[in-house]
Amino acid sequence: MYQYNTVDQQIVDERVEQFRDQTRRYLAGDLSDDEFLALRLMNGLYIQRQAPMLRVAIPYGLMSANQLRKLAHIARTYDKGYGHFTTRTNIQFNWPKLEEVPDILAELAQVQMHAIQTSGNCIRNTTTDHFAGVTPDELEDPRPWCEIIRQWSTLHPEFAYLPRKFKIAVTGSAEDRAASQVHDIGLHLVRNAEGDIGFEVLVGGGLGRTPVIGKVIREFLPKQDLLSYLDAILRVYNLNGRRDNKYKARIKILVEAMGVDAFRDQVEAEWQHTRDTELRLTDAEIARVKGFFQPHPYEALPAESPALQQQLQSDSDFKVWFERNTRAHKVSGYRCVVVSLKPLLGAPGDITDRQMDVVAELAEQYSFAEIRSTHDQNLVLAEVRQDDLYAVWTVLTEYNLARANINTLTDMIVCPGFDFCALANAKTLNISDAINAEFDNLDYLYDLGDIQLNMSGCINACGHHHVGHIGILGVDKKGEDWYQITLGGSGREDASLGKVLGKAVAADEVPAVLRKILETYVEQRTDEERFLDTVRRVGLTPFKEKVYASAH
Amino acid sequence: MPLLINRQPAADRWTLIQPQEGETLEALATGVDALLVPIEQLDAAAALNPAALGVQINGDHSVAQLQPWLARVTLIAVEFPVFRDGRGYSLARQIRRLGYEGELRAVGNVGRDQLGYMERCGFNAFSLADDRYSPDTLKAFSEISVRYQGAADDPRPVYRQHSESTV
Repeated sequence: MYQYNTVDQQIVDERVEQFRDQTRRYLAGDLSDDEFLALRLMNGLYIQRQAPMLRVAIPYGLMSANQLRKLAHIARTYDKGYGHFTTRTNIQFNWPKLEEVPDILAELAQVQMHAIQTSGNCIRNTTTDHFAGVTPDELEDPRPWCEIIRQWSTLHPEFAYLPRKFKIAVTGSAEDRAASQVHDIGLHLVRNAEGDIGFEVLVGGGLGRTPVIGKVIREFLPKQDLLSYLDAILRVYNLNGRRDNKYKARIKILVEAMGVDAFRDQVEAEWQHTRDTELRLTDAEIARVKGFFQPHPYEALPAESPALQQQLQSDSDFKVWFERNTRAHKVSGYRCVVVSLKPLLGAPGDITDRQMDVVAELAEQYSFAEIRSTHDQNLVLAEVRQDDLYAVWTVLTEYNLARANINTLTDMIVCPGFDFCALANAKTLNISDAINAEFDNLDYLYDLGDIQLNMSGCINACGHHHVGHIGILGVDKKGEDWYQITLGGSGREDASLGKVLGKAVAADEVPAVLRKILETYVEQRTDEERFLDTVRRVGLTPFKEKVYASAH
Repeated sequence: MPLLINRQPAADRWTLIQPQEGETLEALATGVDALLVPIEQLDAAAALNPAALGVQINGDHSVAQLQPWLARVTLIAVEFPVFRDGRGYSLARQIRRLGYEGELRAVGNVGRDQLGYMERCGFNAFSLADDRYSPDTLKAFSEISVRYQGAADDPRPVYRQHSESTV
């Protein structure tokens, strides 16, 4: 993974001191609430319902064992002993003290971490595939490009006061595990007719109040032109995006208003000024950054592991976990392990300091001391020898990190909701608990197969409900929490927006409604048909009939 | 109102003239040596042939409107109605890109914590409200002393600064 040089270190160190001074001036009354708000957001600090919330950046979801241990230390020392992983693959601490935040940032800087641009109307953490670099079907590892974008966008002087936040995702394989089509910019590594690898560029995707699937603005962008093209898109957006209404300020609204062709024309015109300037990436710089993402020193191992086969036969719990929570690795003899942060009881994406330490130790012992955080709020140990899987599983089980539910109904994406978030209209964590209680039979979940359930506590859609196969949106009706259900969304390569099933349901009805939806699926499905495919084939009518007919 | 030019406190020799309804620019600008006007008044102001001519724009304007005047004006003031309105940063980049080397001044809601980024985008002058200026303000320019990306101050990204890389 990328290692800081003296320049990288100096930037985060100076940023810590700058923020320390801003905090001091704010506490001394020299900086207004409004001004400090913009400054602290650009350093990931919110003032939430209960306390401040600090969001720490995990660039493209990759961290070292040492970094995860530092996060555990921060959870233990400055917070209440846990953290929460987000869909931008960052981690949030919900209980820090405002005056201690500069000290937390200083601790993070010791391990090459920061909270820069994890919030605010600026370029946010660039995300990618959590199986980047290890998935067999990859065209090219997207992480060096994420790092190049990270450096370019970090403390960018021109794009710190954009009309609204700005999110970029990069993928390197045909499968899209980064929800790239619902990002302000989605970058797909592709090969053109001449055999060169470059980027397909999508613009104007997003969720929130107005969900939109991104549109292709350029089918092939040569790699060396990546930053000049991003620069052009951002400048056109910065100059023309709406600033009169924050709900209409994202780039998706501008692209819709101008039309993608007119938007493209402006970007191309702007780009002509910059594409052959110093923004053009040099081959030497690309090679330098790629050098940090070289394959690990893998052992030469046979594809089959007799030890693994024996363990799979003798321990059915292990076998179930192996099937649900591990994935193929491109190197023979290795597997990718998904560490489930979706236990039976507990908020999705939450992790305790002890669990962080345990995962860090497992990474050190078994997976080249690296951990990834995923868009769907789990962790990944990406490079575990097949012979070691049983040992890893044993430890994960001991610490409640091995629930064999990856990609099942209970592997939900859920925002923290009203319990923590000042923006939320409705609670989410009570609903996820209720869903867990209702669907605790793993055999039933396996029979249902891959289902993505996403839940948000308000229209801002941090829980990505629009692109859940099943989406749940909490709404406030006269002081009560109600839940609107959508079906048929996807954030993957077949991206689509869910359609509203019908009128919202009360909190205590959600599990029963879900059961009816799933029963309808089981009745309607053909052999091996995924939930999403059934919804797409039969439409919403059978689901509506079942849910609402029997509700009266 | 405190003014910084090239990181130094400076006296303001310019007079901003914004005729209201019923007023004429000519009447208001008589005797003004360094005449600063909103872009809508630029034609009329130029006709008066002041010793120095400056123009004020904001995020609603485009550099295309400004381009014919770049050789004639010696001050371009970019107004930030609120500090969150980031359009002025991009305007500054585009103005410098067109080769303008005169004074480029940030006016309006300009505070200490915006100065560093503004300077990197090409501003070399800053007009701050009285209550937002102290000698401490000058430290803002050097809080972050290294940078990854090129900008108006130095177009080279960090990796081009230490070696002459080939494109």
